[in-house]
This record gives sequence, C-alpha cells and structure tokens, in this order.
Amino acid sequence: MITVKNVSIRYLMIYDRVKSIKEYIVQKLKGEIKYEEFWALKNIDFEVKKGEVVGIIGHNGAGKSTLLKIISGILKPTEGSVNVQGVVVPMLELGSGFDQDLTGRENIFLNGAILGYSEEFLKEKYDEIVEFSELGKFIEIPLRNYSSGMIMRLAFSIATVVNPDILIVDEILAVGDADFQAKSKARMMELMGGGTTVLFVSHTLDQIREMCDKVLWIEHGQMQAFGETEEICNKYEQSCIGE
Amino acid sequence: MNAKKLKKGCIIALILYVILAIMFYVIGGQQLQYRTVKTDMLNPSMVIGEITKENVFEQSLKMEGDILTELSLMGATYQRENTGTLSLEIVDLDGQILAKRDIKVDTLKDNEVFHVPFYDGINIPENRFVLRISAPEATEGNAVTLYAGNTVSTSRYEVSAPISIDDKIKLNGQPQEYMLCVDIISSQELLFGQYYWYGALAILLILVVFCIYLYRKNQNKMHSRILNVFIVMERYQYLIKQLVARDFKTKYKRSVLGIFWSFLNPLLTMLVQYVIFSTIFKSDIPNFAVYLLIGIVCYSFFSEATTMALGAIVSNATLITKVYVPKYIYPLTRVMSSAINFLLAMIPLGIVLVITRTPIKPAILLLPFAVICLFMLCLGIGMFLASSMVFFRDTQFLWGVVSMLWMYATPIFYPETIIADEIMPIYKCNPLYHVVRFIRIIIIDGVSPEPKAYVLCLITCIIPLLIGAFVFKKSQDKFILNL
Repeated sequence: MITVKNVSIRYLMIYDRVKSIKEYIVQKLKGEIKYEEFWALKNIDFEVKKGEVVGIIGHNGAGKSTLLKIISGILKPTEGSVNVQGVVVPMLELGSGFDQDLTGRENIFLNGAILGYSEEFLKEKYDEIVEFSELGKFIEIPLRNYSSGMIMRLAFSIATVVNPDILIVDEILAVGDADFQAKSKARMMELMGGGTTVLFVSHTLDQIREMCDKVLWIEHGQMQAFGETEEICNKYEQSCIGE
Repeated sequence: MNAKKLKKGCIIALILYVILAIMFYVIGGQQLQYRTVKTDMLNPSMVIGEITKENVFEQSLKMEGDILTELSLMGATYQRENTGTLSLEIVDLDGQILAKRDIKVDTLKDNEVFHVPFYDGINIPENRFVLRISAPEATEGNAVTLYAGNTVSTSRYEVSAPISIDDKIKLNGQPQEYMLCVDIISSQELLFGQYYWYGALAILLILVVFCIYLYRKNQNKMHSRILNVFIVMERYQYLIKQLVARDFKTKYKRSVLGIFWSFLNPLLTMLVQYVIFSTIFKSDIPNFAVYLLIGIVCYSFFSEATTMALGAIVSNATLITKVYVPKYIYPLTRVMSSAINFLLAMIPLGIVLVITRTPIKPAILLLPFAVICLFMLCLGIGMFLASSMVFFRDTQFLWGVVSMLWMYATPIFYPETIIADEIMPIYKCNPLYHVVRFIRIIIIDGVSPEPKAYVLCLITCIIPLLIGAFVFKKSQDKFILNL
C-alpha cells in the first residue's frame, strides 16, 4: 500500500531569505549567498500493508509532519521514492481551503473537491455533513459570519465523511465544545478502526498503544526503530526518562 | 482508464475533427484559396488631359498577383455633362487584347473613384500589362479625363515617387512626367487552398493512428504520459469546476449589480475611449466603436487573466502546503474564470454590432480559434508569472508596468496604419496584435483571414504557453519551500 524507500529530504537554508530580484543578483554576484544544508529526513525506509494502522512517534521537530507531507505528495523527497496506492485523505490542518465569502453550503462542495471527493459523493453525503456539523440553517450564511468553533465543526465534518483507502492523521482532532469533542473523537476512532490504512502521528502514547498495529520512531530526521507497538513504545518511554 | 470511455472519447474527437475540417473549408471560402493583393494609389495631383479620339493614353502596369480582378481609377468631368463612352483595354506584353470594358461617360462623377471589376478574373502572363484608354467618339469640349500623380504618401508625408520611364503614362506614344492613379486588385492562388483536402486527410489519418495507439496502450495497462493527462483531467475536473465557480462567485459577491459588471465594464471603457478618440483625437477608422470594443475586450481578458494567475500560487499558499493537488490547476482555474468573463463581455460586443448595423457573417464562427489562441497565451504567461511570483515578489509590480507597455504595443484604440515600418517587426512578435487583428477581420470585414494569419496567431500564442509550462514544471517542486 505505502512503500517508502530510502527517503531523504534536504533543505538549503539561506542565511537571509532573498525576496527581490535586485537583492538576489547583487548577492549572487558578490558570492554572498551561502547555503547551509539541513537534512530534515534521512534514509527513511519502511512499508505499510493494507489495513494497517501505523503510529509515528518522536519529539517535536523530529520530522514527523514532514514525512506525512511527503507521503501525501505535498513535498517531494530530495532522494528516494514513495509509492502510494489508493486515495489519500490528509487530515493535516482542517479548513485550509475555506473561502470566507462563500456560504457553508458552497464551502462544503469547494472543500470536498479540494480533498478529492467526487461530485456525486458530495451530493449524496451533503445532508450527512450538515447534520454532523450541527450547523442547521446557518449553512446558507457566508463563512465570515461563523464563529471559529462553527468553522472547525464544518471542516471536521467534511474531512471525516469519507472512507478513504489511506488516512493521514496529524494528532487526533478533537474540536468544538465538550459534546462535539466526544462526538468527533468517536468518529475518528470509527474511521481508524474501519479497515483503512492509517498513518497516525501522536504524542499521546496511550492512544498509540490503543490504536496502532505498528510504530515508527523518528528522531532528528533519522529512523530510530520500526516494529511492534509495545516494544517500540517502551523503548521510546525509556529514552524520554533517560533524558 | 475505462476502455469504453476512451473509445467514446476517441470517436467523438474524430467526428468533431471531420465536422470542423468541413466547416472550416466552407466558412474560410475564397480567403483560403486566393490571396488578394491591393496596390496603393498615388496621390492624385493632376489630370492627364482630355481623352478624345485623337488622344489615346497607354499606361503599363505591374501587379503582384496572377489574376486581375479589379481596377479603380479616379475620374474628372471638367464639371460638365459629357457624352459617349470611355474604353479601357487590357493589353498584354505581346500586344494582344485580353479584355475590354466600355464605360458610359455620363455615369462618371467629378473627382470620384470608380471601380472596374473583372468578375471572372483575367489571367495575365508575367503579371504585366498595358492599360489602353481611349474614347473613340469624344471630341474636345465633350470628353472626360482621369487623375494622375507623381507623389506617394508615407505615413504623414508626401514624397515624390520614383517613376521610371516605363511607368510613365504615354500620350500617343509620348511619355509624360506622371503616372496614372490606379488601384490594382489582383489575387494569387494559394497552395493552402489547393492542398487543403490532402492536408486534412493526412491529419485525420494521424489522429486515427494515434487513437488506436492510445487504445492499445490502455488495454495493455501501459503507462503513457498522454493517457495520464486524461486521467488527471477526469479526476480533477470537479475541483477545477469548483475553483472556477469560487473565483467567479467571490468576484462580484458584495456588489449590487453583480455579474452585470462583466457586461458593463467593457462597455463603459469603450464609451469613454470612444468619446475621447472620436472628439479630442480624431480617428478615421471605419466602424470605430466595434474596432475599439474588440481591442478592449481582448486586452482586458489578457490583463485580468495574467494578473489573477500571477497570484494563483502565492494566494493559495495555505492550500498548497496542506493538500496535494497538481499545482498547475491554480493558474489554470484563474485563467478559466477570466475566460468566462471574457465570453460574457462578448454579449455587449454583440449588442454594439447590432446597433452599428455591422452585418454578422458566418465568418464569426471562426471566433473560437482566436479565443483558444488567446487562452493559451494567457495561460502561458500566467504560469510563468505565477512561478516567478513565488521566488520574487517584485513580479507583481513589474508586471503592472509591463502589461501597460503591452497595451500600448497593441493597436487597441489606434489604427494599424500609423505604425511605422521600422517598428513593425516588434508588432509582429506581439501575439496580442495577431489575435486582435484576427478577430477584427472576422467580425468587421466578415471574412476569414488569410491562412498565414492562422499560423501566426497559433505560433505566437503557443510559444509563450510552452515557455510558461516549462518554467512552471521546472520550478513547481520548489514552490513549497518559498511560500
């Protein structure tokens, strides 16, 4: 399903970010543009089979989100290759495709299209989305009049309506008030338990232990370990205590 | 990809091609077969003297085409009623009379151009002939005359024309110091028209072979770049539709008149410029309102589409860093929504056509060709600007200046005739010039342009598209690092 082969990604960091043609040319002529190499990921190599739930753990800045972005196709690796078979639905940041001037209804179709849903699917699931988001008659009002909680509820409802082949989750999203949080958490669990392949980043080891079949541990862009959940989680805990 | 769908698509494409090829031949008509060449008249400055039975004039002439179709002369009557006939003979170099026309003298008007058409066309060997003018019945005091001259106009100045001894008009064999004022319209057969059906058939064969090739590849589940394009198009067509609808909806969202601005904007711009250029700066362009509106509509599409595409990547930064979508979709949808705007602006153009009583001819069906060319041009430049904008935010300010320059480098509100010959090559490189000229020919003149115009339109628009697409493709992986 997902094959990640020897993936590395390198950033060239320029000391001062050049923003204009003039500056660029001047500095290039002077030979002042210096780069510093930074490997955000180095030689990541693993495979996820169909239906597996894989947790990704590691400290902040270890490269977990970068890896998710590479798998969902947003970033291209400098070296190595990624082969993904199936429809990927990334739940990285919700509601990034919303347009403030459009109504809730129009945004459902726009955002759905961005996530790669088809027209028939959206029409069929439209009522379900509205119902889950609990927006009711507000769905016909432009988004700029929504509260931030309402926007998050709508975004969550759109993102989770689908049954994708591969689901990419950056932290379990629990949004809105307490009631909605419980509801959304239940929905996430349902999705992740429903036989789809899941890549799941979390800092809560309890969730990882509860959900995942396998765990990938990354530290400073390097792969530390990949294997059975219990074993890797224990190792990770020990290293945390050790520090 | 679904085999049935592919089969259906291929068959539709082939049928469409055949229909288009036939329609094009019918609409294009004469313009595809012959090229019409018109020589310019000298400035009429004097008359050649009374044409009587004693005075026979002979003027040797040279034309560019092979077939003579019309002569225009400027006559004068000495402000009196004359009688009799004026006889014009076309004589070839061997002295043989190829054609003869008798004109009733009383139909001539003083100081006015009259036309002598040869409807069947006269094939003239070596493209040289002598025009013999005589009036067998006329006597002094009952004769007309024709205008002659020895100067030509170059832009705004009159200069004396170099007239060689052979070009001078001869009165009873004696060369005079001037040349007859005459316009020669001749036509030349074009290879394009002669070989049209062979070319059309060849392309059809290529298409058939190509379709079979695609079908085979698809059946064997082989990877093909072209098939991939179709698959991506199919997969993202709903997204493209949504993004175009978004651009369009948000554009007029909070305005009272909403979508009517798409009609009103070009109309009002035209009115302002029309008033300025028909009162303050006099211009003598025939059908100026239509002439102007075509220029304005094309340019505003170009300017709007490129400016919108310029920000396509930068303003969608939040999306690009979160969700994977082929990045060219963003500039593409921006250009598409401007194109819809452009098509809406065609409605006021239609209204103006009706008001000015411009006859609407079938040649207007050639409009899609020009629109497609213009679309490719906008997309190419839009893609180039969008990727340039990611790395250098100066692009937006620079483009403001460049697009203004581009506007003045396109004959939108001034006639083509004021362009000096020295800078004409620059205009020939301007795709917008070719497109605007193309549309003006099919709408104002109501005929298809010459085949060369199609080629120029297509080439000058495809080159920017290829450059834009190449730059975009090369740089798109680095976008995310600079957003």
